[in-house]
Amino acid sequence: MAMKEQAITSTLQPSAQSRWFSLASLVETLKSASASFLYTLIGFSLLLLLWGVISGLVGNSLPGPLATLKTLWQLVSDPFYDNGPNDKGVGLQMGSSLLRVFIGFSLGSLVAIPLGVIIGGTPLFRKVLSPVVELLRPVSPLAWFPIGLAVFKHAGEATIFVIFITSLWPTVINTAFGVGSVPEDHKVVGRAFGFSRWRYLRRVLIPYSLPHILTGLRLSLGVAWLVIVAGEMLSGGMGIGFFVWDSWNALNLERVISAIILIGVTGLLLDRGFEIIARKVRYEN
Amino acid sequence: MKTKPISPVMSSRYLELRDLTISFSTPRGRYTAVKDVNLMIARGEIVSLIGHSGCGKSTILNAIGGLVQPTQGEVILGGVKIDAPGPDRGIVFQHYSLLPWLTVYQNIFEAVDSVMNDKTKAEKVELVERFLQMVGLSEHRDKKPRQISGGMKQRVAIARAFAINPEVLLLDEPFGALDALTKTSLQEELINLWGLENQTKTVVLVTHDIEEAILLSDKIVVMTNGPEATIGEVIEVPLPRPRNKRDLVRMPGYAEIHERLLYLLMDAFAVQKKLAA
Repeated sequence: MAMKEQAITSTLQPSAQSRWFSLASLVETLKSASASFLYTLIGFSLLLLLWGVISGLVGNSLPGPLATLKTLWQLVSDPFYDNGPNDKGVGLQMGSSLLRVFIGFSLGSLVAIPLGVIIGGTPLFRKVLSPVVELLRPVSPLAWFPIGLAVFKHAGEATIFVIFITSLWPTVINTAFGVGSVPEDHKVVGRAFGFSRWRYLRRVLIPYSLPHILTGLRLSLGVAWLVIVAGEMLSGGMGIGFFVWDSWNALNLERVISAIILIGVTGLLLDRGFEIIARKVRYEN
Repeated sequence: MKTKPISPVMSSRYLELRDLTISFSTPRGRYTAVKDVNLMIARGEIVSLIGHSGCGKSTILNAIGGLVQPTQGEVILGGVKIDAPGPDRGIVFQHYSLLPWLTVYQNIFEAVDSVMNDKTKAEKVELVERFLQMVGLSEHRDKKPRQISGGMKQRVAIARAFAINPEVLLLDEPFGALDALTKTSLQEELINLWGLENQTKTVVLVTHDIEEAILLSDKIVVMTNGPEATIGEVIEVPLPRPRNKRDLVRMPGYAEIHERLLYLLMDAFAVQKKLAA
């Protein structure tokens, strides 16, 4: 909120003052950025310290930060090598997982958004479909894996199917909520000026619910990234989840922990990237 | 579009409310907002509905707008019964009801584009431009509603209602949320716009402001209190036009109308005071 207001006032500044203003605000920005960087640094230092102490206490069963970071460096310095099906670079594994998430999430969103609009917009469909959604939503998406296998016959497609299912619920629920909560003030504009169904959808319903839809999509993407790791542990063959499981089978915990770090970073980047896109299309009331 | 030619006989009862009763079902049972309202409005007339909060004046306006269905009775416009909103009626809402994600220009254009299917894109654009200019908002055309003041928002809403060229203009406490100065200038702008359109537009206005009612109206309809509100009295305002706020109070006849309205609202149909302590 504060950032938005800042943006508005800065655009309203007369040009004569703008240089001073931007210089001052640049200094402010740098200050707050360096402060938050410092806090982040402290947090990670504490984590590394704790990790080092624990691995020192338990001996060889948990690799320490130094050994792990060395492995991590090896993994990232040559991410795209390919020595056959059981030995691929971590970049290739990550790429494969991202592709599956992207496909499953896109397909899921294509189904979830219209479904959410229908549920939120028509009381009859809400009454009919809400119980179904409520029942299926708490089910772990991994429980759908066998169904995916039975239908698609391949583990890769089954994993995408699991991601598809995962991506449905947050988007359906948030879209339905957004569509269902269009204020009377906005609806009445459409009625008073005889908006066609299509115009109402495009000019009232979608713009109003867009922030809710985006929240749903963001949650869906987050959960999809959580689930892909577990999904690929089941499906095997390819992907960062498989990489984790494969490394465990090789009793290489340095690789497992490195993968955890990489999965975390990738998830964070996905979320931030999505937020940047979302901010562009969101209206401010 | 259901626009039939108006015969001279009908012109004095161009817009007619017949035995209008409107009730709503609420959790506590049936609530009758207005009961047995009968009113005739001539073409080109400006009529105010005035009364205390909850007297059903907005309900009547919404019934004319086609946004609310009468429980009994009917609303007749130009010989045709109203049962839905239509392009022959332009509505200005109390809370402006602009779409916050559209610019000033787009807010007007979407309404024009929706209503005027027989016009080309260029004609529609020109129309929007003209009304933007009329309400003095050309410079602010690309701003979003949150970037402009309340008075400007209401100007956009008025321009939107005028731009679709309705025969009847319905205004629901249009200046209620504005400060006194903005209110005065917008009231005069409204009269000017109405004048520019050759005074052919019929205007129905909901207000609780006595001065506003006298300034704008040919006829003031005073409502009794709800529930089951109905018309208490209809007061003609024969003051000459053009009127403006400054000269209005000195016009002969003004004081009399003002007194009468004050009496009706404060004594005859006063809100019952439960606490006298």
